[in-house]
Amino acid sequence: MSFEVLGGNLLGTIPFGDIVLYLTPFNLFMFVVLLIFTFLIAVSKTETQVEASLVKLENTNKNVGKKEFHQRRFLAVICGIASAGAMITGDLFDFTLFMALVGILNIGIVSAVRQVSVLNSAFHYGLIAMMCSLPLFGGAAIILAATGTLSLDILSTMHTTPMIIFGALLMLIGVIGESGVAPFFATKAEMFRTPGSPFIIIIHLSSLFIIIRAVEIFLLVLM
Amino acid sequence: MILVPSHVPEVFVSMYLPAIYAGLIVGFIGSMAIAMRKKEIHILILTDIIGFAMMLIVSAVGTDLAESLILPGLVVELAEIMAISEILLSREMHKIENNPKVNVDKRISLFSLPYNLDMEVMTTAPNFIALVLIAYGLFLTGFTGGAVAGCGVVLYLVSRKARGLAIFTFEGLSGVSGIAWCFWIVGFALFFLLPEYWLVSLLLAACGLLLKVASKIGLVGVLMREDMNKE
Repeated sequence: MSFEVLGGNLLGTIPFGDIVLYLTPFNLFMFVVLLIFTFLIAVSKTETQVEASLVKLENTNKNVGKKEFHQRRFLAVICGIASAGAMITGDLFDFTLFMALVGILNIGIVSAVRQVSVLNSAFHYGLIAMMCSLPLFGGAAIILAATGTLSLDILSTMHTTPMIIFGALLMLIGVIGESGVAPFFATKAEMFRTPGSPFIIIIHLSSLFIIIRAVEIFLLVLM
Repeated sequence: MILVPSHVPEVFVSMYLPAIYAGLIVGFIGSMAIAMRKKEIHILILTDIIGFAMMLIVSAVGTDLAESLILPGLVVELAEIMAISEILLSREMHKIENNPKVNVDKRISLFSLPYNLDMEVMTTAPNFIALVLIAYGLFLTGFTGGAVAGCGVVLYLVSRKARGLAIFTFEGLSGVSGIAWCFWIVGFALFFLLPEYWLVSLLLAACGLLLKVASKIGLVGVLMREDMNKE
């Protein structure tokens, strides 16, 4: 399937040798939206959760400490940039690398919290992300072995073989596990239960955008 | 479609599919093992095995492009396992913060001896043995000498502690270690720059290593002492 079918008019290409970045309205829109979100997160302050105290007639504020705040903001900005990179890249392996980077950063964003339950679910999410690096990188390697290239520009013009379909299926499992959707969502949903809203949102947002981009890439490779 | 050049032997080409199957099977076995184990540290280590299976599949391709995939894959794998182990560590620390006695087992003693060793030689001999160890270590030089001399330092500290005497603090021990490292580096550089002075550089490197290893073992002793004080 060519780029135009999914992404609209081909606005231009930026060739880096084998890797060709292609600019379509679809890619550019997602890229710019993620950059805007990253900027908003970089300049925003964290929320303060207000909870009702037990026994007393008072509220307790849950604040995010300054050190934790800096760490989270840094990792959230990097996570936004990595997801934006995954939106615009024209190389299959760059996509898998950005995906893995987003997985690590998601763990990093919640790593500084003090709640034991959140750390517990982050640990389990990290385990699943690590296990899913096998199908993610393995699928990319199998596609490379079956076609001899990783450039989406060339892959989109090739005919599919059973090995390409197998590789793409493996990669799909990998993307699902790394971004923590459908069967693996339980641990990731628990990770959000901590104060510090705008930085937590990037975890959700990045996996959402990356799934959309992954669908585009799979359609490009398979159809 | 055959993409493999004709000069590649048939043996290598036929290895590709078995390698992929091996990787997938290793990953499957690792997943089964993770499903069975209950301790988290075991799960962490078993997850690393799945990471190695990933390396197996990627390296099965065996082209220069695949080589460019292996290095990022390895780095990602390392970064992930470091991140997860950090999370595990900080979680345990928070658990201990909330309940300081959660992991402390009362029965453990470092020297769990059934009989009373209240002999005079236990208080007088360690100093002399420490001296002998340090002298022997100095004579040996190098790694072995460092280890022996370091054991002497630790023995001296532990024996003073056991007798309830004051221990002079070894704050400068890490500094000594750094200077010893510089000795070693200077000796190493001299070995290449001025090969005719090989004996000097050899001695510099050997003494540097001695001080380095000795001070390191001394540091271990100091840290152990601090841990005991905490309890």
